[in-house]
Amino acid sequence: MLNYFLKGEKGTRLRFMGMLLSAILVLLSVFTLTQKGLNFGLDFTGGYLTEFTTSQSVELKELQSFIAKNHNGEFELTAQGNSHFQLREAPSASTTSTTANSLDWQSAVTQNDDINAQVLSSAYIGSQVGDELFDQGCLAMFAAMIAVMIYLAVRFEWRLAVGSVVALVHDLILVLGLFSLLQIEFNLTVLASLLAIIGYSLNDSIIVGDRVRELLRVQSNNVLSPATIINNAIKSTLTRTLITSGTTLATVASVWLLAGAPLQGFAIALFTGIVVGTFSSICIAATLPELLGLSAKNYEVKVDAHTQTLLDMP
Amino acid sequence: MLSFKKDKKPSTAKFKLSYIAMLIVLVLLAISALPNLYPNKSWLHVSSTPHSETQSLPSTKTLVTFLNKQGLEVEQGLDKQSTINVLLNEPTKSAQAQAAIKAQYPNMQVKIVEHATSPTWLQDFGLSPIKLGLDLNGGVLFVLDVDLDKAVDEQLVSAYQQAKSIIIKQKAHGVKAQQTQQGFEINALPNATDKLTPVIEELQSRFANLAVVTSNNGSVKTAKFSYSEQGRSSFDKEVMGQTLTTLRSRIEELGITEAVTQRQGKHRIRIELPGVQDPTEAKRIIGATASLGFYQLKEIDGQTFNMQSGGTIKLDPVPIFTGDHINNANIGRDDWGKPLVQLSLDGQGGDAMSAFSKANIGKPMATVYSEYSQNAKGEVVKKSEVINVANIAQHLSSRFSITNMKSQQAAADLALLLRAGSLTAPVTIVHEQTIGPSLGSENISNGLAALMLGMGITLAFMALWYRRLGLIANVALILNLTSLVGLMSLLPGVVLTLPGIAGLVLTIGMAVDTNVIIFERIKEERRQGRAPYQAIQEGYKQAANTIFDANITTMITALILYGIGYGPVKGFAITLALGLLTSVFTGVYVSKVLSQTLYLKMGKKAGVKAHA
Repeated sequence: MLNYFLKGEKGTRLRFMGMLLSAILVLLSVFTLTQKGLNFGLDFTGGYLTEFTTSQSVELKELQSFIAKNHNGEFELTAQGNSHFQLREAPSASTTSTTANSLDWQSAVTQNDDINAQVLSSAYIGSQVGDELFDQGCLAMFAAMIAVMIYLAVRFEWRLAVGSVVALVHDLILVLGLFSLLQIEFNLTVLASLLAIIGYSLNDSIIVGDRVRELLRVQSNNVLSPATIINNAIKSTLTRTLITSGTTLATVASVWLLAGAPLQGFAIALFTGIVVGTFSSICIAATLPELLGLSAKNYEVKVDAHTQTLLDMP
Repeated sequence: MLSFKKDKKPSTAKFKLSYIAMLIVLVLLAISALPNLYPNKSWLHVSSTPHSETQSLPSTKTLVTFLNKQGLEVEQGLDKQSTINVLLNEPTKSAQAQAAIKAQYPNMQVKIVEHATSPTWLQDFGLSPIKLGLDLNGGVLFVLDVDLDKAVDEQLVSAYQQAKSIIIKQKAHGVKAQQTQQGFEINALPNATDKLTPVIEELQSRFANLAVVTSNNGSVKTAKFSYSEQGRSSFDKEVMGQTLTTLRSRIEELGITEAVTQRQGKHRIRIELPGVQDPTEAKRIIGATASLGFYQLKEIDGQTFNMQSGGTIKLDPVPIFTGDHINNANIGRDDWGKPLVQLSLDGQGGDAMSAFSKANIGKPMATVYSEYSQNAKGEVVKKSEVINVANIAQHLSSRFSITNMKSQQAAADLALLLRAGSLTAPVTIVHEQTIGPSLGSENISNGLAALMLGMGITLAFMALWYRRLGLIANVALILNLTSLVGLMSLLPGVVLTLPGIAGLVLTIGMAVDTNVIIFERIKEERRQGRAPYQAIQEGYKQAANTIFDANITTMITALILYGIGYGPVKGFAITLALGLLTSVFTGVYVSKVLSQTLYLKMGKKAGVKAHA
């Protein structure tokens, strides 16, 4: 692998440096994931969540101690804004009743004249439901990956397919790593965005891979090395990749900025996913096949006239 | 203008049909998107309940003044013969007004009904705005867990009890029923084996899903009863279906019109109640498992029941009839002013009652009230209580009353539950969520702001980067959004949620991808020295493959997400999947037509060479 760094064109060197960086980032993500784990939201843990606003801005600490006086269990209070708070309680172990064990804090904050809270929303999720949702989420991720792999294996040469799938796993691990590192709440919408990332990460990888395949076929006389062909493919798709990622990032950023707290985690996940997805489509999806020995010969032998027409059918 | 026509001629015939088809699709989708400009308004419908006898509607004027006095300003009040329709200045306060009216006029039925505000010609086509999910509309969500295991156990116990009484009725001496781990079995001594078959047949006609295995154990013939896998699954299906029907009619009784009640997974039921703000009443009624049964007293071999007043009593385990046969139930008061429930039975129940009371005048009959509740350990247990025992004074028909109710509230609840039907399996609420109307409308405006900003940035960028081609992409993008909104309004079962709006915004960002791929191709073809028209032709052709590949993987993930996601996540998957369809349609087909006709021909006419 070392000679890839020493010789070769500038583009190739950059790609391999990027791959090395990716490998380091993946290791770091796995490290934080094992050390810190994910901050699972109510959807997965179960429990009570109450969201309320106060008529005037209240210090978090003051409110915390006020509620503590009227609450006999454990709770977690977070500020969403100056006068917008969220209170989370663990599901009570003994009973499965839907009324929180200490509803009196609610009446206390709503009746207190200084706080004068107004409850915006409240949620209760049984812990069993949370476990089920988690299992189901994992199942969905798994199913999506398998389905996509089958599709790629049919559509592409296996080396290109492996490159795309490794890039995809890389993207997911990095996003999860970020969520673990910053301890951002991991809820159902974040899970949905992970699935969207699977789709979009592949999108980029496929477009580069498509071009690699096309160039390999055109220049099947073996004049150019695979590395050069890959570099050319990346060069010719780079503008498209940057523009599309740019407009998508712009829209995701506007969701992040404007759509408010409920979609914050969703937007952060997608934003990171698109950034690392763009990066990995170049540094992993296109580079790994080279390491695996992709060459023009793979296409000379494999693609006869009949399959060629089949492949070209939309 | 003449030259324009001239240019078009060679390929006219080939293109015209597809042009027209495309135009029709676009226009139809645009029309379907129109109603979204006229959001629904929630009105209050006030009418007297059909079950109460003497309560007349207050006049519209009285009602309006009453509401105004409560600080709920009325914008419009309409008198519609049997109902009064009221529109508030702030429709988000409808739930509050509903509660106020209910408190003032307890016998009135108040419903919150969505009224379309779009022009009548749109409504005549059956077009309506996109349905909004709970997170955008505000409301209450319940997910109920149906305890099917418990229901099966109950069913087995009841079958066992009935087996015992069948044996006695058929005077099958030497035949004995016995409970086992899996269910129960009936043993027949050698001299009574011929009496076993009629017992089994009778039992199977009552419990169709029960599987029976007969075996000879020495000289004793044994029939084991239990639920086979198949019988169990058809039993589960039955119970779930019955629970859904019961819950739907209960919600209807509560006056909630636009509720969504559906099965979620194997043993869950998801109930969405838009517009409801106070979950307590809905919770009390939805989760209630109360049922009634009427029993004959039986001193020998009877089952022991607890009396509400204390003590126990022995009853025949097979009821004369159950609450299922009750057609209508109203509350009333007896001569001493105590609350009671007046019942009227359906044909079958009436016949049973009539036959029984005729034969048993002067004998007592017990009313048993059963309810599932949780004990200290959190286990679900069935509690059955005899609420009254009365001597049958005369030949009863299909109308009679149950006395000895604890309170007015208990009587009212029981009447409602009897009208709506009882639940065969105990249910527990495993997920409950209340979203305030202000939070919902805040979510909508935030989502729309994000959509506007994302769209604005994308449009501006495309126009600056690609100039003239960019304008085509922008027209395609706007058409894309219109088509997507139109499609979502048109398809039944599509619900817009907050993540759905995020999916909409995301689609806008990704939709330009098709155009970017194509335009980059066109540029490349131009660099290789092709003429503009050919470059465009070639660019669209070459890019089609890549676009297909890129979109199908996203489509796969969207479909998987739709398949297993619930609620808001499902909304996201729907917008994502539909957005892919519309963006390929507008990005590839529509923009191809646009660039071929407008860009090239207009460009030629103006004498400007197309440059990209």
